[in-house]
Amino acid sequence: MPVDSATRSETFPFGIASVGLGGAERQVPIDEPPPLPPNAELAVIGKPVPRQNARAKVTGATHFTVDVAPSGMLYGRILRSPLPHARIRSIDVTAAAGFPGVRAVLAVAQPDDPVLGVARYTGAPIAAVAASSMAVAEAALRLIRVDYQPLPFVVDMDAARAPDAPQVHDDESAPAGHPSGFPAAADLPLQGNIRGPHITRRGDIAKGFAEAAVVVEGQYRTQVQTHCCLEPHVIVADWRADGLTVHMSTQFTAGVRHELAEAFNLPLNRVRVVVDGMGGGFGSKSTLSTYGKIAVALSRQTNAPVRVMLDRQEEQMDAGNRPGTWQRLRIGAKRDGSLTAISLVSYGTAGVALGGGVGNVAESMYACPNFEGAQHDVFINAGPGCAMRAPGNTPGALGFEQAIDELAERLSLDPVVLRDRIDLSPVRREERRIGAERIGWRGRHAPGADPGPVKRGLGMAQSLWMANVQVNSACEVRILRDGSVEVLSSVQDIGTGIGTVMAQTVAEVLGLHTEDITVRIGDTEFPAGSPSYGSRTTASMTPPARTAAWRVLPTLFHEAAPALNAAPEDLIARGGRVAVKNDAGRSMGFREAAAQLRTDRISAVASRSDDYGGFRRRMGDAALAQQDLGGAQFAAVAVDTETGIVRVERVVAVQDCGRPINPLQLESQVHGGVLMGLSYALFEERILDQHTGRMVNPNLEQYKLAGPRETPQIDVVVLENYQGRSATDAYGIAEPSNIATAPAIANAVYNATGVRMRNLPMTPAAVLAALGKIPTRS
Amino acid sequence: MNRFAWINTKSVSEAAVSASATVADLMIAPSIVSNHGETSVVKAGGIDLLDLMKEDLLAPERIVNLRDIPGLDAISEDPNGGLRIGATATLAAVADHAVIRRRYPALADAVGGSASPQIRHVATLGGNLLQRPRCWYFRAAEFRCLRKGGGHCFAIPGENQYHAIFDNQACAIVHPSTAATVLVALGATVELTDAGNAVRRILLEEFFVPPSRDLQRENDLKPREIMTAIRLPPLAGDVRMAHLKQGEKDSFDWPLADVAVLLHLSPDGGCKSAAVILGAAAPVPYRAKAAEQALAGRAIDEAVARQAGKAALDGATPLAKNSYKLPLFETLVRRAVLKAVSGPSRG
Amino acid sequence: MIEAASAMVKPAEAAESSGPATVGPEAASITLKINGMVQTLKVEPRMTLAEALRGPLGLTGTKIACNRGACSACTVWIDGAPICSCMVLAIDVNARNVTTIEGLAHGGRLHPVQSAFIEHDALQCGFCTPGMIMSCAALLEQTPSPKADDVRAAISGHYCRCGTYPHVIAAALSAAQSRKA
Repeated sequence: MPVDSATRSETFPFGIASVGLGGAERQVPIDEPPPLPPNAELAVIGKPVPRQNARAKVTGATHFTVDVAPSGMLYGRILRSPLPHARIRSIDVTAAAGFPGVRAVLAVAQPDDPVLGVARYTGAPIAAVAASSMAVAEAALRLIRVDYQPLPFVVDMDAARAPDAPQVHDDESAPAGHPSGFPAAADLPLQGNIRGPHITRRGDIAKGFAEAAVVVEGQYRTQVQTHCCLEPHVIVADWRADGLTVHMSTQFTAGVRHELAEAFNLPLNRVRVVVDGMGGGFGSKSTLSTYGKIAVALSRQTNAPVRVMLDRQEEQMDAGNRPGTWQRLRIGAKRDGSLTAISLVSYGTAGVALGGGVGNVAESMYACPNFEGAQHDVFINAGPGCAMRAPGNTPGALGFEQAIDELAERLSLDPVVLRDRIDLSPVRREERRIGAERIGWRGRHAPGADPGPVKRGLGMAQSLWMANVQVNSACEVRILRDGSVEVLSSVQDIGTGIGTVMAQTVAEVLGLHTEDITVRIGDTEFPAGSPSYGSRTTASMTPPARTAAWRVLPTLFHEAAPALNAAPEDLIARGGRVAVKNDAGRSMGFREAAAQLRTDRISAVASRSDDYGGFRRRMGDAALAQQDLGGAQFAAVAVDTETGIVRVERVVAVQDCGRPINPLQLESQVHGGVLMGLSYALFEERILDQHTGRMVNPNLEQYKLAGPRETPQIDVVVLENYQGRSATDAYGIAEPSNIATAPAIANAVYNATGVRMRNLPMTPAAVLAALGKIPTRS
Repeated sequence: MNRFAWINTKSVSEAAVSASATVADLMIAPSIVSNHGETSVVKAGGIDLLDLMKEDLLAPERIVNLRDIPGLDAISEDPNGGLRIGATATLAAVADHAVIRRRYPALADAVGGSASPQIRHVATLGGNLLQRPRCWYFRAAEFRCLRKGGGHCFAIPGENQYHAIFDNQACAIVHPSTAATVLVALGATVELTDAGNAVRRILLEEFFVPPSRDLQRENDLKPREIMTAIRLPPLAGDVRMAHLKQGEKDSFDWPLADVAVLLHLSPDGGCKSAAVILGAAAPVPYRAKAAEQALAGRAIDEAVARQAGKAALDGATPLAKNSYKLPLFETLVRRAVLKAVSGPSRG
Repeated sequence: MIEAASAMVKPAEAAESSGPATVGPEAASITLKINGMVQTLKVEPRMTLAEALRGPLGLTGTKIACNRGACSACTVWIDGAPICSCMVLAIDVNARNVTTIEGLAHGGRLHPVQSAFIEHDALQCGFCTPGMIMSCAALLEQTPSPKADDVRAAISGHYCRCGTYPHVIAAALSAAQSRKA
């Protein structure tokens, strides 16, 4: 932001396009562009443009980090604890270090250190080697002698809550919370394995429950889910005298660069992080992580590039997971549906690290004057959690949206009607209206009404997600003398297509086609961009992309104007040409105009300014927009009550993301959120053997993901919801589209069978048990 | 995977001579060597072999390739009206075979619905029958379970949701082959050939070995025996069949339960005799005798099929996490019986 | 109908063979036909086709995601049939034709499935995409007019965490249409 932050007043389109648009007045910094009209008036933004890197991906030309193999590269491999809890007495690497082909060995754990000398989960890193081939590295690992002293362990969350349970952490080793409250708040007390409670409250719930005509109460359980990125965690670290270059499958090149500079005492400008193709993250690849540090340390030690790549078993055991939760909800309401009190108690476990909260769905979705939430984290001797697609809110919605559904039934109110009464959001109201119509909600019958063994039902649920913005995001736009245009940032494409929407944004400003813009991203040599987590990438990157293009254009106009015998301020860029306003006859092609440039290249850099009218909250480099994101999802299921199989036949997902920039890519994103939510609802579970603490399904065969035959018909509607808060007014959709699916399916299963599935996943075993079909035997 | 030498054999006897042990033998006693002084196993499609090796459960010094042996994959009609399926015929070839689809559709269904197209193009029917169990304790080298020569079964006190509901007191594996469920119902035999080209024939049902007879092998394969063919008997009279399975997912999943039903009907439409075989229920394909008796001599309708479904679970001893298989099998047996009886005769 | 159990047939005299040729365990030279081109490379017998493609042959379009044949990301064709290249040994391929994602486009012209994938946005991160395309393209060779369920069956072995299945199915059906046109 310039020192002189003078602003001007502008009127922005405001409201939901399908309801009706008005205007909103905002103060816009003078160095930012004028309001962008609604999509209907735009040439490129809002259109279903093909992904700009699609051709490279469909031909196999895209290089992912797994494909990077510089000459002389060594192979790193990590030795991992076979025990869930053990003191490490000694690590002897002599034999490994002497093995032919081994170039370096390092100890990760530190024997007899109270914090670093204890392995706290099966799979915890103990040591690492770098060798001339994977086979040599694997053979060398087998030669490392570790003296483990087994300790008592606990891998069940309920058992871990007992006061006499084996203790996973002490105050010294327990991971610290964070002032932002994510993943866990700072300074929460630790008692045994329980950290917390983290309490949020408003009003007086005792009074609220006393005022209630009806109270529903329920307990819910959600399982531990693993990310299952197709491309594993992988890094190629190349430590050289003149600097460190790292290729990494990462969701945040700029962040990793900072972490590297700090961890290895390097100036920022000697650290470079690069990623081209990136095979999925879903929250698990946001930081440098231990494996990243190991690769860099090995590279420094060997003076050679070192690749550390996790195999699928390591991915399942030590690359992060979504915490499992237990929740108890009580909701009190008056006869007309208005809520009087909500009480939430939750325990969640993310293994040895991270918070296991259930988010802010119960607290913030609906109007309710009295609320109390007490969320606890429970440590167990299992692999550490990592943020996973809408952390907290995804499990939180499973419980809360079912409780609301239950309340609706108790009040004899349609679930949509109840929400119409208690939900203050006009956006979600419109989403409910559209979704209900599309799914045929009017045809919904009473629970369990279908006669046959196969019973059908409809259910719905909503999502709420705070609209994150990364304020320290920047972007450069360059126009070259031959007419080529580039947009550059360190931001990375993790599959969401950020490059395409940035190109569309720049193309819109310059009057070009999306394919005329060369996208150069995924490299910290370029202006530092945002992370690709928190559904913040589009919101963070497209405003500076527009602003940078808008700032560089006047220079082009200035240099091209003489050739058109016009003043620079009379020029516009449209339809691939630079033309004089209101004089169609006087124009030249964009390339021709660029040929007038004095130098080979002009450019402008812009950074993400504050949302016009300010943010709701600012936490360092991150901020929350004033309006939340959300959606309403409706599911149609068929439950075979004789086999317990739940088939999801159709999902209607109505979501909002501010201004939708690319409907094609947005539809893909929503498909992804829905399918991940469906898979979470029905199939996935990290299963630990209780006697040994080991994950029994650390693979893609017995850890079950929804496949093509489980895929329902998915109808996606994305609202245009203009708020006039930034140069593009565009926000994210990845997480909001993942939150409501599981509860929508659970509510549909209730409608189909009359039985409420309070625990995930809804396997045939669970459904048959809930239906009372399993004989009890003596 | 460990380093190994590769032998591409051109005849069964060559392969039998080169192999030192069965896979099961080698997993128990990793140093059984061949005449050449090395441990060696045969490979057909290699799907199960590579999986076991990648999991560090098996490290043969030599692999003897059967895939290129001419004629070993041939599918041909027997003069007696039955069918001879070469052991290295791929699952895809079996599922797509016109005679199998017409005459033994339950086998085509079971095989064609197994795994994925990719696996079916490589995996062989012989390998499918000989594959080792999918029990997740068995498949993890870190668990030294009974079947691998260790001290106890981890599944019985542990995570046993996918395990056996019959004959599960010692070892709780389920036999992993869906094709086997149907082949046992069909009364198939297997041919085993040794290094001297001697051929042993045995009913598939007897080839599979329960834990009470052998805790560490699922079948009767002897060292230096190569499975060379699976033979289907001819179908005489009015024969109806069906195969049903149910996994947690329909895409690429192991079944929670599968059922093969073979009915011999008399001219008046009543059932003369029945075969009801349950897969994923026991360490071997499980013959539900009580269900077969419930069908024999009856005219099959919904009520009779229901009785058969109930009878099929007689004597079941579910474990802590798998009693859901009882109602599931009951349903699948009933539905398979009705599907079979309502289908055309294949005889 | 049912043969006597364990019937033993009198064995013929076992023919004494000189023993078949052994290759390895050290690396040995093999020839493979990849995308129509004959390639010679040195591989240990334990090297899978996927590793051979991605390593010595420099064809990194084929991806390894699970290395167990459970996710189908590594799908290539052998003689036109989709297989998991992580579960096939390079040394076992012999004279059969291998087609990888790099061999699908001809000259600059994309295969109809590739074009359809772009048009229908049937990809997101792109890691499962090459394998997915190989399966869809193989389907169209076998079944020129597939229905949606045929596509689901053809891709039933594929895992996509990004959730491209709906667009993949649409793309495959669309590619089938465009091939007929």
